[in-house]
Amino acid sequence: MFKYSFQWNQALKALPQMLDGALVTMQIALLSMAIGLVVAIILTLFRLSGSRLLRGFAVAWVEIARNTPALFQIYMAHFGLGSFGIHLSPFTSLLAGIAFNNAGYLAENFRGALKAIPDTQARAGRSLGMTSLQAFRLIVVPQMLRIAFLPITNQMVWAILMTSLGVTVGMNTDLAGVTQALNARTFRTFEFFALAAVIYYLIAKVVTLAARLIASRLFRY
Amino acid sequence: MFDTSLSWGDIVFLAQGAGMTLAVTAVSVIAGTILGIFCGVIRVQLGPYWSIPLTFVLDIFRSVPLLIQLVLANAFQSIAKLGWPPFTTSCVVLSLYTAAYCTEIVRGGIDAVPLTTRRAGRSLGLSWWQDMRFIVAPLATRVSLPSWIGLTLGVMKDSALVLWLGLIELLRASQILVTRLQEPLFILLICGAIYFLISFPIARLGGYLEKRWSPND
Amino acid sequence: MRITTAAFGLMAAITMVSTAQADKLDDIVGSGTLRCAVVLDFPPMGSRDASNNPVGFDVDYCNDLAKALGVTAEIVETPFPERIPALMSGRVDVGVASTSDTLERARTVGMTIPYFAFEMAVTANEKTGIKSFEDMKGKVVGATAGTFEAIALEKQVKAWGGGEFRPYQTQADVFLALSQGQLDATVSTSTVAQANVKTGKFPGIAVVGKAPFDIDYVALFTNREEYGLINFLNLFINQQVRTGRYAELYEKWVGGDLPSLTVNGVYR
Repeated sequence: MFKYSFQWNQALKALPQMLDGALVTMQIALLSMAIGLVVAIILTLFRLSGSRLLRGFAVAWVEIARNTPALFQIYMAHFGLGSFGIHLSPFTSLLAGIAFNNAGYLAENFRGALKAIPDTQARAGRSLGMTSLQAFRLIVVPQMLRIAFLPITNQMVWAILMTSLGVTVGMNTDLAGVTQALNARTFRTFEFFALAAVIYYLIAKVVTLAARLIASRLFRY
Repeated sequence: MFDTSLSWGDIVFLAQGAGMTLAVTAVSVIAGTILGIFCGVIRVQLGPYWSIPLTFVLDIFRSVPLLIQLVLANAFQSIAKLGWPPFTTSCVVLSLYTAAYCTEIVRGGIDAVPLTTRRAGRSLGLSWWQDMRFIVAPLATRVSLPSWIGLTLGVMKDSALVLWLGLIELLRASQILVTRLQEPLFILLICGAIYFLISFPIARLGGYLEKRWSPND
Repeated sequence: MRITTAAFGLMAAITMVSTAQADKLDDIVGSGTLRCAVVLDFPPMGSRDASNNPVGFDVDYCNDLAKALGVTAEIVETPFPERIPALMSGRVDVGVASTSDTLERARTVGMTIPYFAFEMAVTANEKTGIKSFEDMKGKVVGATAGTFEAIALEKQVKAWGGGEFRPYQTQADVFLALSQGQLDATVSTSTVAQANVKTGKFPGIAVVGKAPFDIDYVALFTNREEYGLINFLNLFINQQVRTGRYAELYEKWVGGDLPSLTVNGVYR
């Protein structure tokens, strides 16, 4: 049917290399999620604060993260910051770009989740003698994370998919980077990328399943 | 303020890039939405069990990076000698990608229509089609529209990836100018501002509709 | 000898036509357009002028080829990774894209005889104090992903141990990273390095020496099974050199000593 003959054994031979890449992909995704969550909580705190400056900062972050392409953000983290003389390695640029994106989206999710937590709870905490930060940390945040659990899971899958954009800033150790390097050397695009697609799919599924397991553990009550 | 060698011709070049971004987005969102509504209704009609094959296929588009999908589709069309230009390949991939997400949105919208309301309609003698047309469609649209707007914006931003296939859209146009003029920061900022200007008003409209239409807010 | 090959190719082509099996050469002549894959962020081989139109050695080469075929040329811009898919899908007929003729690639596409040869040069950011190829040991170096020099440099970095290798997707990104100081040095073809340094758009970088890699011969490429077309292309390249057009184009875009396209002591 096709004039093209597939050479799968070449791709399969490269499988161990690609799986190493998958580990790096997971590493970046997890790190970017951890950073993103912390920053998102801080941004949420900023948004609730009385200071106009802090509120403005948080709003600007969220809007820029949500209204420009992730690829643009990563490119900016590398070449944009580079013109200021701030040099991030491809790994750090990719991580910074994705964490920036994650934080923006998660902060927006948290804002929605906050609406579902009655003010009275935080106030009750305050009247028990907690500081406002304590009330936020001990009463609001746990519930917020719980309500926003599904969006957080989705963002995690997104983070994994976004790591593939690292190739544009010279990343060559993650799954997409390894695949592209193999492709450039042999010109066997379809075989290598098909294998990469399968690996990405499996990673995404494992993460979703793990999240479901965690959810059923954490939210039993 | 800025000492730049950016000329009017280059601004036009960027605008053409933005036009390409919008064209790819428009085609993909329209095609993807039609396909998504179709698949969403099928999913609801078949029930979760029988629609497993469909769900599985659509799920692939949501679990594999778009960049990989684009490269793979392009390699495939080249192997199959379809001879598609990059624009067609990009639109096909982005449409399927949109459809995968749109299906979930449509399904959520339909599921949000109370079954009792639909039963009431059916018991008044409405046919399935009439029920869909006069009861489900208006109610589900209200629930789904904000997410759909979010999806449209998502596709608009993700369309930046088609530059990999050699299509000169907004981000690629900026890269070309960066190559020639060597003013990365300035040009990238303009590029980001254009994306923001396209995306932000629509995002705000979505937020407004969501607030206005959500029942208890 | 080459004439006989060409004659054989012609005969083969004629036989194929008589069995109503038009090959790619016929298709191009028949359609009246030759579509070339050209990389346009690779000055002086391919780039864009002030009105963003394609120019460069490869662009002129494609135009010459079209003239030789009696058709009009169409330049299809392809980023480096897109060259082969563009060919496979029939979106372009021939790649005039400074493609190194490695054996690994020849398993997938059909390469002609070399039409250009690059020597490799080290370009460094002046702040790093790198003065030669050996100085790059332990530094952050980069090159355009998948190119001949990138593969050789990555191997060298591994052999040195320490330091880091970063592949970027376009040549432009490599020089951008170099001038910003993200990279300490790069190995690229000397023509490209000189052309980029000459533009004056990258302050603080300089060509500091040669890299001891083999000469990088680049070839035109087309589908592996299109012998008729490959034969034509080989003859065309030969004629470009014979008629002095190669030297003329070299002077126009690069300048300096004309690189020889033959390898001593072996046939091709």
